[in-house]
Amino acid sequence: MSPLRALFSALFLFVIFTFQESAVARINFPIAGFSFYLAVLIALMALEESSGAVLMGFLGGFILDLAPSTGTPFGQWALVLTLIGYLIATNRESIGDFTSRPGAFVGFVSVASALTLASYLLSGTLLGENNGSFLHNAVVILGNSLWTLIFAPLVLPLLAKLRSLSLTSRERI
Amino acid sequence: MAGRGGNRSRLLLVILLVTSLFLITLDLRGVSLTKSSRSATQSFLAPIQKGVSSLFSPVGNFFSDIKNFGKTKAELTATKAENAKLKSQLILSADMKGQLAKLRGALNLAGHGGYKVVSARVIGHGSASTFSQTLTIDAGTSDGITKDMTVLGGTGIVGVVKETTATSSVVELMSDPNFKIGVRIAGTQSIGVVLGQGDSHFVLQLLDPAGTIKVGDVLVSLGSDGNKPFVAGVPVGRVSAVNNSGASLTQEADVLGFENLNDLGVVTVVVAPPAHDPRDALVPTPEPTVTVYVTAPAVPAVSTSPGAGASNTPTPVPTPSATSVKKKAGK
Repeated sequence: MSPLRALFSALFLFVIFTFQESAVARINFPIAGFSFYLAVLIALMALEESSGAVLMGFLGGFILDLAPSTGTPFGQWALVLTLIGYLIATNRESIGDFTSRPGAFVGFVSVASALTLASYLLSGTLLGENNGSFLHNAVVILGNSLWTLIFAPLVLPLLAKLRSLSLTSRERI
Repeated sequence: MAGRGGNRSRLLLVILLVTSLFLITLDLRGVSLTKSSRSATQSFLAPIQKGVSSLFSPVGNFFSDIKNFGKTKAELTATKAENAKLKSQLILSADMKGQLAKLRGALNLAGHGGYKVVSARVIGHGSASTFSQTLTIDAGTSDGITKDMTVLGGTGIVGVVKETTATSSVVELMSDPNFKIGVRIAGTQSIGVVLGQGDSHFVLQLLDPAGTIKVGDVLVSLGSDGNKPFVAGVPVGRVSAVNNSGASLTQEADVLGFENLNDLGVVTVVVAPPAHDPRDALVPTPEPTVTVYVTAPAVPAVSTSPGAGASNTPTPVPTPSATSVKKKAGK
């Protein structure tokens, strides 16, 4: 991933983050809530090559750490999403190309977002955070996955198209 | 080639993990750089949230409206006629009216307690990706709001100011898992701690080993040293269930908050405490039970026996002495 591409990706993620914090967070979803930002970030990580996914995870986590509503230590999201990015990167070849399998792509993003939230909670516990009741956290994670499963099909094709347009001819090869 | 790529990716992973851990360490050591970066983000987001807030206000409860559609269908017909009449009288939008009602409630509560408050509009909610329960309000340090000030709703406590910028503040809601408030049971004066659980239920841990908790007990804030973060005497919630377990050292109870934290449009922030502790003056009084007695009038009995007809004296028929219809005022 070139530095210029990393910068554009970070800017794009910041726009999505602003949309998440100012608009999506205003909607009272019936079961927990929906993190549009997390869905977009995981989709982008899944489309990147290995080191790109790791870097994207760190940048995305760093932006998420900037959220004023976050009560956890700064850098926790960056840590978790870097690891998730690495997990995606190492399993990149076995996962295959998502652009030709939209159903699998949506399912992957939904499961990965649940795994990310669970990892975030786990890391918070290790850092001595009070995470609240198990049931509530389970509802938040499952609810977010459900909403990702519902809304991702509307966004992911657009995201894949946007990414392919942003690739240089060298990166395309 | 693949091996080289793998090595590069691993090296990058190590560098980024170390950077993340470095950031966490800085934050835990209280370095202001990390805190100020969040404040800067809040300053950036606040005007956007304010703009989007008015746009999303009618859409925000879209899903709950759909959920209640079946329930409200029957009521819809009845209210249609009323609605037509009200439409002609409508000057302000329904949204504005709702906010005014909330503001009136919040100001009433603050007025009764003698708190000096600043009212603010809710412009943002905590994101789903952060497990913390927060909201953003459109008032900040320029309005006299500082960190650790009590935030009130129409009927009770809402939370505490966590972060401030010049024009906005982040409020930690009392449903946040990290939220703790010292309380006093109105009446018995036993003290305890109410803990947030991440949802609309709270847990009360009684500190007084000899004290008793009863269902229906009202909890009011105990107040903090210097009135920060909590002023005294604000209603917190009502005990809904008592969990007495022989194994636990302290008595515990489930508590329901007075405020619906998912439906806050306007809140007030206590900028100055009252001159004296309001004690139990703000405890919401239960609405009186209205009892209507309907007594059926005595019906004159008509005798069918020929002998009795001559006297024409109506014989009183035993009537239900008092048919009572009890109507409980809905809460």
